[in-house]
Amino acid sequence: MKAVFIVVFIAIFLAGCQTTKPMYEYEDYAESFYSLKKEGGEETAVQWKTSLESIVEKSKAKAVRVPPGVYANLGYIHLKVNNNEGAITFFEQEKAIYPEATKFMDNLIKKAKAKG
Amino acid sequence: MNTLSKIKLLLISLVVLGVSGCVTPPTYVTKGEEFPSMYIEKPKSLLIMPPINLSTAAEAKDYYSTTVEMPIALHGYYTFPYQLTADVLKQQGVYDSELVYDIPLNKFYDYFGADAVLFTKIAKWDTAYTVLASTLTVSIDAEIKSTKTSEVLWEYNGTVVIDLSANGGGGGMAGLLINAIATAINTAAADYTTYAKVANGRFVGSIPYGPYHPLYLKDQQMKVIQQRQNEKPMEKVAEKASKEASE
Repeated sequence: MKAVFIVVFIAIFLAGCQTTKPMYEYEDYAESFYSLKKEGGEETAVQWKTSLESIVEKSKAKAVRVPPGVYANLGYIHLKVNNNEGAITFFEQEKAIYPEATKFMDNLIKKAKAKG
Repeated sequence: MNTLSKIKLLLISLVVLGVSGCVTPPTYVTKGEEFPSMYIEKPKSLLIMPPINLSTAAEAKDYYSTTVEMPIALHGYYTFPYQLTADVLKQQGVYDSELVYDIPLNKFYDYFGADAVLFTKIAKWDTAYTVLASTLTVSIDAEIKSTKTSEVLWEYNGTVVIDLSANGGGGGMAGLLINAIATAINTAAADYTTYAKVANGRFVGSIPYGPYHPLYLKDQQMKVIQQRQNEKPMEKVAEKASKEASE
C-alpha cells in the first residue's frame, strides 16, 4: 500500500516538472525593450536586435516556439534599414508560426515589396 | 496543547491576519461567471494599445508600455509586436489611445487582424514619503474590447501599494513578496518596470487563458476578484478626452 502511495507521489511530482518547462525563451527581452524606450539611440537599438536574435536561437535550441512578435520585430528592424528582402523573410516566418498574424504581416510584406 | 492543534491555531491566526489586512473584503467569482463573453468570443490575438496615462508621472507611459506584452503572451495570447504596432498606429495618426477608445474597433481587425484590443490606463503612479515608510501606489485599469462588436469582454481595476522602505512590514504573503522585491530594488537599480510587473501580474492573472496556454478554455472555474460592480473607469477617460478635444 505504501509503495502505491510513493509511486503516485512520484508520478505527480514528475508531472509537475513537465509543466514547469517555460512556454517561451524570453531572454532579456524586457530589459532591452525598456532600455530602448528609456534611452533610445544606437547602442540600445543594437542591444534590442541582439536580444531578439538570441531569443530565436535559444528557442530553437530548446525546441520551444519563438514568442509572438519576435520575428516581426526583426523584420521591422530590417525594413527600417531598407533590407526589404530580409524583412519579408522575417514577416513570412512570423506568419508561419502564428496564423493570427497573417493579415498584419501581409500588409507589411506589401509595404516592403513596394519599397524594394 | 498537542502539535496538531498548535498548527491549526497558527493557520487560523494566519487566515485572520490575512483577512484583516484587507480594507474591504473583495467578492470572489469564477472567471466563467465574470467574463462569459471571453469564452463565447474566444479572442486569439490581442493588440496592445499605448497606455493612457492619467498619472502625474509623465514618463510612466513609456516605461509601463514595455511591461505589458510579455505577460499577456505568456498567458497564451498572440500579442502583436508592440514596438512595431505603436509606430504603425502613430503613422495612422493614433497618438493617444483615448482617441480611439470610443470609436468602432473593427478597423483594428481590418488592418492588423486583431480579434480584440487591450486598453490599459495608468490611473495612479504616486510616491508618498512619510516618516515611517515610503510607498509607491500603482493603479492600473485595463479592458479587452472585441474588434467585432466593440463590446468590453474583460475588465480590471486594481491598485498595488508597494513598500519602498525595505524593512517596512506588510502583513501576509503579499507583504513578504513585496518586501523581497523592494529589497532587491534598493540594492540594485531602482526601476519602474519592476513595480509595473507586480501590478501586471495581478491583472493578467484574471484574464481567461489564451489559446497557446495549456489551460485554455479550462479555467472557467478559477476564482477571481469581482470587477463588474465598478463603474466603467475607462469611459470616464474617453469623456475627459472628448471634453479636452472640444475645448
